[in-house]
Amino acid sequence: MLSVLTGSLPYLLKGAVVTLALSVAVVGLGTLLGVALGILATTRSRLAGSFVTGYIFVLRGIPVLVIMFLGYYAFPAFGLRVSAYVAVGLAQIVYVGAFVAEITRSAILAVPAGQIAAARSLGMRRPAILSQVILPQAGRIAIPPLLNSALTAVKQTSYASVVGVWELTYAAREVVERTLAAFQIFLGVMAIYFLICYPLSLAARWSERRLAFAH
Amino acid sequence: MDYAAQTAAFLLAQFPKLSAGFLITLALSAAAIPLALALGLVLLAPRMARSALARGATVGYVDLMRNTPLLVQIYLIYFGLPVLGFFPSEFSCGVAGIALQHGAFLVETYRAGIESVSDRQREAARALGMGRLKAFRLVILPQALMRILGPLGNQLIVLIKDTSLVSAIGVAELTMTGKVIIERSAASAEIFVAVGLFYLVLTSVVGAAFRLVEHRVAERM
Repeated sequence: MLSVLTGSLPYLLKGAVVTLALSVAVVGLGTLLGVALGILATTRSRLAGSFVTGYIFVLRGIPVLVIMFLGYYAFPAFGLRVSAYVAVGLAQIVYVGAFVAEITRSAILAVPAGQIAAARSLGMRRPAILSQVILPQAGRIAIPPLLNSALTAVKQTSYASVVGVWELTYAAREVVERTLAAFQIFLGVMAIYFLICYPLSLAARWSERRLAFAH
Repeated sequence: MDYAAQTAAFLLAQFPKLSAGFLITLALSAAAIPLALALGLVLLAPRMARSALARGATVGYVDLMRNTPLLVQIYLIYFGLPVLGFFPSEFSCGVAGIALQHGAFLVETYRAGIESVSDRQREAARALGMGRLKAFRLVILPQALMRILGPLGNQLIVLIKDTSLVSAIGVAELTMTGKVIIERSAASAEIFVAVGLFYLVLTSVVGAAFRLVEHRVAERM
């Protein structure tokens, strides 16, 4: 019964490696971008604040698949030739960045104002307050939602297959078209995604519980 | 004509097609939202049951849905059911996939709202002589609903955005329409800016409606 799945497993695992690489790049760079934007949003600059607010509003209101298509077609429109991986990867980074920016901004705003006043009364300067007082506390608050956002980002890499990027889900469709064994292949692929995603899920849940006790 | 005028004229000409796709997106959402809301409610009883088996089975289902991509779930339904001799339409497969996934998320939203109501509220209601059900209906539920509204609105916005995935199995909704226009004309990325705007308007309106309801409910309580 499972012969089709076992026969195709090496091919699917190759796809899983691409999915993992794509996930690491998207989660890593998307989180970096989002944290930078989130910090920018809490500076004194009004312009920066409204830019980040607009960025978050627009991207969170649009499906990631549409942003991927936009990225895929935008580069050629500007006369640039980049691989589909780069175009779609960048689109995902920009998208994940919006969610992470919102998480970072609310975590920073959740740090009690008294902490900042206390740091200032100790004579600390703004950069020192940010790095030594605000970010360590905001980081603790932000960890559970950041892990959840990473989980969502990993699952979203599968949508790149719709735009024509070869990864696990694309590989699965190829195998199903060849073998017609839809159940075995898609259930097998779900199992592979589960193995990648479940540890993230557990980490998110664990950190939620730990941080709930810490407060 | 310069670029801006040309693009504007082109997008304007595509407006009827995009609107038709938008209507399908609305129909997908309108079909999937009640199903997902209902599935979440159905799963709530076993999720919060005393029986460890019922709880375990529900958590297993929720974890499976949470840790696998919706796109693969939709493929499983769309390509899997014909193997079993069922041939539902692409539209139904998409709606089923979205409802099955979001029902799993919603049961956790409901549960979190209910569990956020302090145990003392329940104890007080019981001490006043209310039965379990009555205490739930009159004391727990109204307070829980209040706290559920915010996350519920966010979840439904995610659901609406997820209808775009049904384009992968060939439903001519908004995203698919954008792709088809690109393939059949000289259009390029601009069409997806227009597609994005349609989604943005829809999700903003739904978001604003939820905030309004939340505000009204908060005022009454």
